[in-house]
Amino acid sequence: MEVTYCQSAGEELRETLGSMEKAESVDGICLLATADEALESDAFEASLHELSVPVFGGIFPEIIHDGTNTDDGALVVGLSVEPLVTTVDELSDPATEFRDALDPTLPADGYETAFVFVDGHSTRIEAFIEALFRTYSVELSVIGGGTGTLDDRRRPSLITNDGLVGDAAIIAAVRSPTSVGVTHGWTEIDGPVRVTESEGSTLISLDGSPAFERYKQIVERHTDRTVTPETFFEIAKSYPFGITRMSGEQLVRDPYAVGDDGSLACFGPVPEGEFMSVLTGDTDSLVEAAEAAYNEATSDPLDADGLLFFDCISRVLYLESSFDRELAAVSDDERPVVGALTLGEIANDGTGHLDYYNKTAVVGAIEDV
Amino acid sequence: MTDRQRRIQTLYEISLSIGPKATLTETADDALLEYLQKLNCSVGAVFQHHTTPDGSEYDTIVTIPADPESNATLQAMIDALPDGASDESLADQLPISDHTDDGAHFCLQELPDFGVLALGKHGGEIDDITRSSLRPLNEKLAEACRSKLIERRHRIERNRFEAVFDAIPEPVVNTVVDDGVERVKQVNTPFESVFGHSAAAARGQPIETLITPVDGEETGEQTEPTAVGGDEPATASYETEDGPCEFLVRRVAVGGPEADEYIHLYVDISVEKQHQQELERYERLVENLPIGVYRTTAGPDGEFRLVNQGLVDILEASSAGEFETISVSEIYAEGASREQFSDLLVEQGAVEDVELELRTLNGNTIWATVTGRAVEEDGETVFELALQDITERKERQQQLAVLNRVLRHNVRNAMNVIKGNTRLLSEAVETSEQSFIDAIERRVENLEQLSNKAGTMRSLFDQGREVTAIIEMEQLLEEVRADFESKHPEAELTVAVFNSIAVQADVRLKMAIHELLDNAVDHNDSPEPEVTVTVAPAESKPPDHWADITITDNGPGIHEDEWKAIESGQETPLQHGTGLGLWLVYWTVSLLGGEITISGLDSGTRIVLTLPRATGDQPPSQVD
Repeated sequence: MEVTYCQSAGEELRETLGSMEKAESVDGICLLATADEALESDAFEASLHELSVPVFGGIFPEIIHDGTNTDDGALVVGLSVEPLVTTVDELSDPATEFRDALDPTLPADGYETAFVFVDGHSTRIEAFIEALFRTYSVELSVIGGGTGTLDDRRRPSLITNDGLVGDAAIIAAVRSPTSVGVTHGWTEIDGPVRVTESEGSTLISLDGSPAFERYKQIVERHTDRTVTPETFFEIAKSYPFGITRMSGEQLVRDPYAVGDDGSLACFGPVPEGEFMSVLTGDTDSLVEAAEAAYNEATSDPLDADGLLFFDCISRVLYLESSFDRELAAVSDDERPVVGALTLGEIANDGTGHLDYYNKTAVVGAIEDV
Repeated sequence: MTDRQRRIQTLYEISLSIGPKATLTETADDALLEYLQKLNCSVGAVFQHHTTPDGSEYDTIVTIPADPESNATLQAMIDALPDGASDESLADQLPISDHTDDGAHFCLQELPDFGVLALGKHGGEIDDITRSSLRPLNEKLAEACRSKLIERRHRIERNRFEAVFDAIPEPVVNTVVDDGVERVKQVNTPFESVFGHSAAAARGQPIETLITPVDGEETGEQTEPTAVGGDEPATASYETEDGPCEFLVRRVAVGGPEADEYIHLYVDISVEKQHQQELERYERLVENLPIGVYRTTAGPDGEFRLVNQGLVDILEASSAGEFETISVSEIYAEGASREQFSDLLVEQGAVEDVELELRTLNGNTIWATVTGRAVEEDGETVFELALQDITERKERQQQLAVLNRVLRHNVRNAMNVIKGNTRLLSEAVETSEQSFIDAIERRVENLEQLSNKAGTMRSLFDQGREVTAIIEMEQLLEEVRADFESKHPEAELTVAVFNSIAVQADVRLKMAIHELLDNAVDHNDSPEPEVTVTVAPAESKPPDHWADITITDNGPGIHEDEWKAIESGQETPLQHGTGLGLWLVYWTVSLLGGEITISGLDSGTRIVLTLPRATGDQPPSQVD
């Protein structure tokens, strides 16, 4: 695994891509970038077209390399194995049959790991993840996350040889094994509350009351602060929801906005009828979770060539300057650690269910790349 | 939250996803995904169980992952499915839980009366309490799957029904009773074309408004086809796109007599009905014919199979049933004749106008002509026969033969004797008495001519009505002129032939024209007898097919009684002719298929013989 960080997404990146594809040991490229207008240029698109090896990746709020996170530049990761890249378009279209686009014979053909990136602003990510699980279960180790930026601008954020694409998903399968650790460090402090009405990722009512009102009642039992629409974002990043899994970590659903009707907008779907808990965490628990994910990923007796770290951007917002501790928890002296801060994380640990996570740390140790 | 609370929540959330979906696969797939997601499992499957004589078989409804071949845990689950070899039921053999070689754990649980749910997990296992708590969910899933199976069977039946519905070539309507009104639910394509209502337009309409009885009334034998319980076949006349048609209507309740859904089938029997009516008319006609129509078996004796009233009358039976008690040979005057007739008919296949001497059931002898054919029916030979009683004609022929003999032989012999004696008497009597002798001789000569004409008359009828030759009238009249001039030098004959006209006739026509010309001269009291013969296209019939031969003279004319008797074809005691001449002409023209018209002129008579013109198919006739 060869990693090059480019400060600039312009000429420097294009030259790096060109030199990377010429490297004898490189049969594929994973490109993790931050938002930059240069990425939307014709020159960049042309350089993607001209690549003789498969390229896949995305544009994220921030990227991770050398034990730091940054919202500048791009990471070019040369892979010594050729990835089989599949693009699934029209991710938000209810008519799209995701399973038709997925090749169920990939495990039988020797593929062991799938890098999965989805446009984080698409509306049917959960359905796509379900289709992935239905097709592959845990036969493929899956690691990846949602692309895009935190601003309101919606633009193509997935990188392929055909250029940038939006409202899509990329599956890049490689014949290399990966060990994955998934933890979040958030713990249950209250609940359960039942989702009595919802639409996709918007909570309309909880326990029969407007979602914001019910959330406010619960959270204010655990904080001295008053939850108002104005203070909501600041407080809510410490009090996400959790969806119960038997014998597994709860799935975190992160509320980030209050609607005029008292609804709550979340990252990730919140199905009607489900019970949810209210979670909270602190710096230590989150850092410990990241460390646990690292330990889980590296505990498998693999001779990993590198570590992949996909962490939720909301954890950065929550941890702020303490995020350095989380980065340190997953640093490795022997192998490069690369990754991105994402809009939701996608992973399975090779044991349980494949899910679309929020506020979660995902570490993958990959071999033979 | 306690484990118990967590478990209850999880089970509740799984239960939300269980229920019938669009298909059985979707029903099982959605539920299985929820099981795996909520229980944090990685592998699962739903199998449908079938009991066979050899044990158990399983259909895989859904698996996660999609390709079971590549997943060791899934393969282990499949291998662990009870094979049914033991006497235990599936329920007795489940649940099963085990570990695979790579450490995964799986459990197989019963989906009651449907099959098996398989759940697998890597890195742990579903605890016992949770597994046992899944039972009500499994029952709910089994019920949902069973309902989809039933739905699928119904859908298959429905599709089959609809395929048949559209394949039926006759109009078919599916109706439902809604609030007491039977409304159309579906019609097939033939219904649209026959009754002129599209499926879209017909849907929801009361059926009575779409199918109109002819003249607003229904036939006497039909029943109201839309009436509740009226599911017996009935015939009815309805207006269609092609006009009124006869239908055999059948209304069948779908799902039993208490159902509120019906199928109406309309079989167009217009052609059959028309054939039946024609057959009935034909049977009535045959029944009332004055000839005998009957069917018999073949053989020396033969059995009657069918007789009409005509045969009953001719053979003096009391009823048609009487023929069931006698053999066919019993109506023959000679029993052997029956065998001969049967052999002839079998050999030739058909006979025409065979004269037979028969005996009625009262023992009277009659003569009949029989025409018929032999047909094979159900493996036996059957004769279909028509019998005409010719007893009277036969007797007339006998009388005519005797009369002819008397006229031609007995009378002529007597005349020869009278002539001889008259000649001797003439030599012996005085001249003053000679006129009496002359009168005797003229009358004797007339009687001789009469006798000759009687012979001619017989030869006329011997030839019958068959005419297969043609005569060129111009040639015929040239020959007639030559004969006329040698025979009647004192008279003048004028002949005019319109173009070249030929008629269907034979030598008898020449004889008839001679007779008319002789009459025109012999009875002409004019000092210069004149006769004119013209031939032209007919005036009273289509001129292309008929020709008029007109003979006009300047004689005294024919007495009205005589020509009226000739034109009407019959004599009465008060209306009769004086001889045979005109009758010979009349019979000749009739036998040749023509007509005779006689009209008086201011001076003389005009007789028109109208005959069919030759078509060119017949050979020219030798008129000598």
